[in-house]
Amino acid sequence: MAANRLVGRSFCGTRLITMSDLKTKLEILLGVALCVVVLYGFLYLEHEWEIGLLLVILPLAILFLKRANILSDYQQAARTIPRFTLISFIVGVLVLIVLLRDEHFALLMLTTVLLYVTVSLGLTIQFGFAGLVNFAAIAFFGIGAYSMAVLNYHFHALPDLLIILFSGLTSALLGALLILPILRTKGHYAALITIAFGILLRTFLEVNDVFGGPQGLKVGAIEILGWNFSDSFPSVLGGGSFYMAYAIMALLLAAIAYLLTRLIEASWFGLNMDSVRLDEVASASFGINIPRWKITAFMLGNFFAGLAGAIYAAMSGFIAPASFNFSDSLLLVSIVLLGGIGNAVAVIPAALLIVVLPEKFQVIQEYRLLLFGIVVILILRFRPSGLMPRGLRQYFPRSST
Amino acid sequence: MVVTRAAGAAFFMSVKIIELTNFEKRILLMLNTLKLLKVFIFLICCACLVSCSEQPETIKITFIGPLTGGVSAGGLGGRNSADLAVSLRNQSPETKYKYELVPLDDECKPNIGVQVATKAAADKNIVAGVTHYCSAVAMGTVDVYHKFGLPVIVWGAVLPDITYGNDHPEIHRVNGTMINQNMVAAEFMIAQGFSTWAVIHDTTDYGKGHFKYFEKALIEQPGAILGTFGVNPDQQDFTAELTKIKALNPEVIYFGGLAPTGVRIRAQMDKLGMSQVFQGTSGIVSDAFIDGVGDLAEGVLAFREGAPTEKLPGGKMFIQAYQARGFGEPAEAYGAFAFAATDLIIDVIEKVGPDRNLIRDELNLTQGHESIVGPVTFDSHGQNTIALITKYVIQDSSWVLWEDSEYALGKRSLK
Repeated sequence: MAANRLVGRSFCGTRLITMSDLKTKLEILLGVALCVVVLYGFLYLEHEWEIGLLLVILPLAILFLKRANILSDYQQAARTIPRFTLISFIVGVLVLIVLLRDEHFALLMLTTVLLYVTVSLGLTIQFGFAGLVNFAAIAFFGIGAYSMAVLNYHFHALPDLLIILFSGLTSALLGALLILPILRTKGHYAALITIAFGILLRTFLEVNDVFGGPQGLKVGAIEILGWNFSDSFPSVLGGGSFYMAYAIMALLLAAIAYLLTRLIEASWFGLNMDSVRLDEVASASFGINIPRWKITAFMLGNFFAGLAGAIYAAMSGFIAPASFNFSDSLLLVSIVLLGGIGNAVAVIPAALLIVVLPEKFQVIQEYRLLLFGIVVILILRFRPSGLMPRGLRQYFPRSST
Repeated sequence: MVVTRAAGAAFFMSVKIIELTNFEKRILLMLNTLKLLKVFIFLICCACLVSCSEQPETIKITFIGPLTGGVSAGGLGGRNSADLAVSLRNQSPETKYKYELVPLDDECKPNIGVQVATKAAADKNIVAGVTHYCSAVAMGTVDVYHKFGLPVIVWGAVLPDITYGNDHPEIHRVNGTMINQNMVAAEFMIAQGFSTWAVIHDTTDYGKGHFKYFEKALIEQPGAILGTFGVNPDQQDFTAELTKIKALNPEVIYFGGLAPTGVRIRAQMDKLGMSQVFQGTSGIVSDAFIDGVGDLAEGVLAFREGAPTEKLPGGKMFIQAYQARGFGEPAEAYGAFAFAATDLIIDVIEKVGPDRNLIRDELNLTQGHESIVGPVTFDSHGQNTIALITKYVIQDSSWVLWEDSEYALGKRSLK
């Protein structure tokens, strides 16, 4: 693109710029449309043979696109105008939400995926950038959910958006308890501390009647300006499932989290975090404040998890300690691993696979988790560093294109 | 600088589009776009082809339970039993419709439960459900069923609040709760000629709940509670409570709690020379209680929801049919209830047709419906009021069904 612009400016006048600009945009729009179609199919299809067909077609289609160099064209185009790409993706998912407006279940899955994407982006910052292992992601998600439940019940007068924000902050603040032990330990030991925290939190919730004990707690719906999110979508806007409002909210949250993650990655924040992860000693000797970056990454990641948890709690209307198991934390970590550590885009397809695939395999009942496991192992066998490994950092803006 | 830039431009000229005229470029662009469009259209066609499948005409009933995870044994037994009920009815020539069971896995996790409940409830082809083994999951999903208007019958979860914690007309339950247990307990004890109680209960949900419902049952019956003592499940010494109870001199000591606490109380009663009848709840029905108390266990009473499958009214038929189908997993304790719930739903559909609202209303009218777990009658909350409760007594260091015991035959006496 930059090359084209340079050429355009020097030789062919403005016309060429608009032409190739148009082509890039067209490519992006088509790419987004393709993604939306695939997503629609993935969320909407129910029968076993349909899903089977999709699972066969999808890798073939990706292979075909790759062979025909179309995939790299798209990637190139997306890299050239990232803002346009992001906006068209958001619009694409919005269109998808409208298309699925009467499909409660598909919307619920979409929202869950978007919320898991948000949590995984938090993990990407912790795990992918600063190198902090966090096996308690679901605990922070749970703290957000319980904060939402308790605050919504006791301080009903507070605006719900503020409560969601508070829930994120509570999650980050409770996570602060772990800062000292995490700064003082490394590797496996740090991982062990987060695992312990997750288990402790679950026990704490189970023995406290204030938090509903093991039987769980009902959560009030989000209400903004008198509009109760758990009612049907307002008919003025075309009507539809009550999940639509949550889906849109989750989409906005995921988009903001994504943007923030990318900005962090591109800025000196990300540069510092990367350097902390790669070599602490070298970073320290260059004057980088290691605790500062670890704490920033840890708090920010937990903040994301708390926000997502709050929306999740309001949407599902009921939470119990059993929903926030250690195995769910592992699921979140596996989203990051499956996607490709440190690549913010990669968590999206990975979250989609991890959340939706077991659900689609319901038709084979008790064998579904087995098959799901096999699929994940196959993916990692053929793409050991994840679906979309993180690329090299571009130190010089776009000149290499 | 100038040189490098010129060289750069020349490089781009050589590889890229500089030699082409604007017209040619446009053609190329169009071709390129066409190529993209082809892929796009191809995928759309695939999606259409795949989504345009025909709808089956059979009537769908969903079964939800834990098919994977730690308690999957119970869930798989329930799934098989529900499946058995559906296939037996499909084989019968009198059946008007063809039925299909849609089994879903809730993993015994509330979040997954809400997901699959939404899936089932939002599917318009599913007209009713046989749902949940785990109480926490059922607590989370009742609102979903209400929101989408899917009538369901709970087949395994025992928490009273699942039916009594809401006014949702969609929720029913065939198996009993601690409410039924205490109702039966109170009726039975009064029929045996007892009229005064002292209550010791632990302060957990379990103990508090049992006390609450036993007290309620006694008010209806009527019987008198002379004193109530809440204790910590970890408490070791009950001399203070027992001394007070001795002064009150009740005929029966009711204990709401689990075996370890029960063992200590029963043993310490003996030290204080108290010979009252010891009546427990489902929590002490275990061999650990007998091992802990020893000979003092003789004549201890307890009550529990459900029954051994072979003791159920239709148990023999059920076990035979289940074995004939050759399932890989046993039916487990609640399989018969899943069978009964599925059968009841099919009966109702046969009567009113496959319409969710009609099924819901008809289910709410259920009175004395014959099933393999005995007659089913739903109260205003959809709870089966004549739910099966089994009475146990300890005879010669083992738990014996009351009806089979020497106490019932009059050979031995409780007092």
